[in-house]
Amino acid sequence: MSGGEAHVENSIWMRAVLLGGVFLAIGVLAFATMGVGVANVKHHAYEDAIHHYEDAKYEYEEAKANGASESEIKALKEDKEEAHHHEIEAHLSYLTWRTAGITILLMCITYASFIGLGGFLNSIYPDDAGHDDHGYGGDDHEHHGSGSPIVFSLGIMLFLMGFPSFQGALGNMLSGVDANLGDLGLSMLGLTIVTAGVANWWREDLPFIGNHEQIATSAPFEGQHIRKAGLWVFIMSEVMVFATFFSSYLRMRTEWCTGWQVDNQNAACRATESVGGAEHFVLAAGGTTADASLAAGDYLYEIDMLTASDFLRPNGGMLDGLGGQGDFMTLLPGAINTFALIISSYTIVLALKTAKAKDWEAPSGFMGKLMPTQKTAVRNYLIATFLLGSMFIVLKLIEWSHLVAEGFTIGTQAGSIFYISTGAHGLHVFIGLLVMLYLIFKADTVGYDEKNGQGIEYFGLYWHFVDLAWVVIFPAFYLY
Amino acid sequence: MGEHETTGILESIVEKLPGGYDIYFWNFVILMFFTLFEVAAVFFETIPGTDIEITLYAVWAILIGVGVIKGYGIAAYFMHLKGDPRIYTRTALFPVLFVLLMLWGIGLSNPGSVQALPDWCTPNWEFASQR
Repeated sequence: MSGGEAHVENSIWMRAVLLGGVFLAIGVLAFATMGVGVANVKHHAYEDAIHHYEDAKYEYEEAKANGASESEIKALKEDKEEAHHHEIEAHLSYLTWRTAGITILLMCITYASFIGLGGFLNSIYPDDAGHDDHGYGGDDHEHHGSGSPIVFSLGIMLFLMGFPSFQGALGNMLSGVDANLGDLGLSMLGLTIVTAGVANWWREDLPFIGNHEQIATSAPFEGQHIRKAGLWVFIMSEVMVFATFFSSYLRMRTEWCTGWQVDNQNAACRATESVGGAEHFVLAAGGTTADASLAAGDYLYEIDMLTASDFLRPNGGMLDGLGGQGDFMTLLPGAINTFALIISSYTIVLALKTAKAKDWEAPSGFMGKLMPTQKTAVRNYLIATFLLGSMFIVLKLIEWSHLVAEGFTIGTQAGSIFYISTGAHGLHVFIGLLVMLYLIFKADTVGYDEKNGQGIEYFGLYWHFVDLAWVVIFPAFYLY
Repeated sequence: MGEHETTGILESIVEKLPGGYDIYFWNFVILMFFTLFEVAAVFFETIPGTDIEITLYAVWAILIGVGVIKGYGIAAYFMHLKGDPRIYTRTALFPVLFVLLMLWGIGLSNPGSVQALPDWCTPNWEFASQR
């Protein structure tokens, strides 16, 4: 260390490049084993299940056409339904492995791009340029902040400006249609600037060991760390974003006749039929009536919208043969994800506590082997948080693939708000994971301690907010 | 978040609990327990071991109640609003007014639902030009 900041040779960033390589290897390995190897086996099983179902269906139709006995038809119908059930199970099993493999590959490519490219750019940076006394964390000066966020924001702006044509061209490329590569240009430029901005940001922050943290000098945050105040203002804006999704959902939801509303005999969900040009209510016992004042139980009620929870929870509503198949296993990924986020919130608290501990002692037994030193303990708690967050994304996409396969697509109002809200939340988790990559790198190189542990604290605030948003999203979209 | 000492009724109870675990550990345990509770509330149609039905309103009450408890646990202890200066709590509460407005104004009070939202947000151009 030299004075106010750690002495960091830019060559240390080659470790980040190596880490990027490790991620690529993990991604390719996961894709090869899960997405190709196991998925192909499952696909064969799925094809067999399709054939079995078609055979069972044919036998059933034949028996009906040939006037077989009632008991024989009943037995064949049961066989057909069982074969159909197996076919669905086999399809979902195939999707699970295929989606897991592809998701892990794509995540690892993104991790590798960020940490690897960032590391490469910083490793080729001249060492002398990193020691500007007027810069970030200089010896004799206050923490001057950084211009990198502005570069990063410019990159994001360009990426979003080019996004409509970018996603169109990417979609065409993936589906084998002729694509104009020039359509990728603006967004790719944006992504390049984002990477350069992030790399520069990391290089500026890495030597920071807690000296000269910028303090607010005026109300209302007087005496507080400016970075922390800024983070809270950012979280405040995030609350607004999620509140927008939630209020839209609430608005739509109050108009829908869901399974819950029908079970509750909501008057707005009474089935109607046009009789002689006038709307009549359909009665539970059969027939219709124009009388709206009968007892609630006398009417027939109908569902007009399926929500995600109808596909996920037990006893969900059914519409046009879709939904209502939820059980313990369909609810499991969402429930595991909820626990994963809560555990990850705790592991990041432990990372901060360990970093800030003045008299830290290595735990005994197995945990002692995992965390022999304070520095290793901080890094490993961060890695645990990172793994839990990554698992969240994989499970989420597996769950999405199942929902789409079962007919819950983005094409309906309920599907639209579900995928946008949970997708926005998933994006926040993923962005958090990219930031966490750097925290892990810093924990492994310069390290976090009592003086600079606030870096973990500020990231933790964001991570806890993501957990907090899930506290609302999970019951609203998955359970209710 | 984890580096300050906080004082309060919960903290004093936690200090007396065996094992020597801190408030963050117990907060974590409580969050896990209530998550299990909300999943169970939806998973079971009746209270296990009884014939008592878990009604729609009971599910609502459980989900909202558990949400409030979990939200408090995360914000107060994990995000450490309880130990930090008040200005952070005020900052966190600042959007509440807008959130409530959105939930009430858009979420619960516009009878025209989604279809009417574009009209609702479109300025009255005829009125503006005549005036």
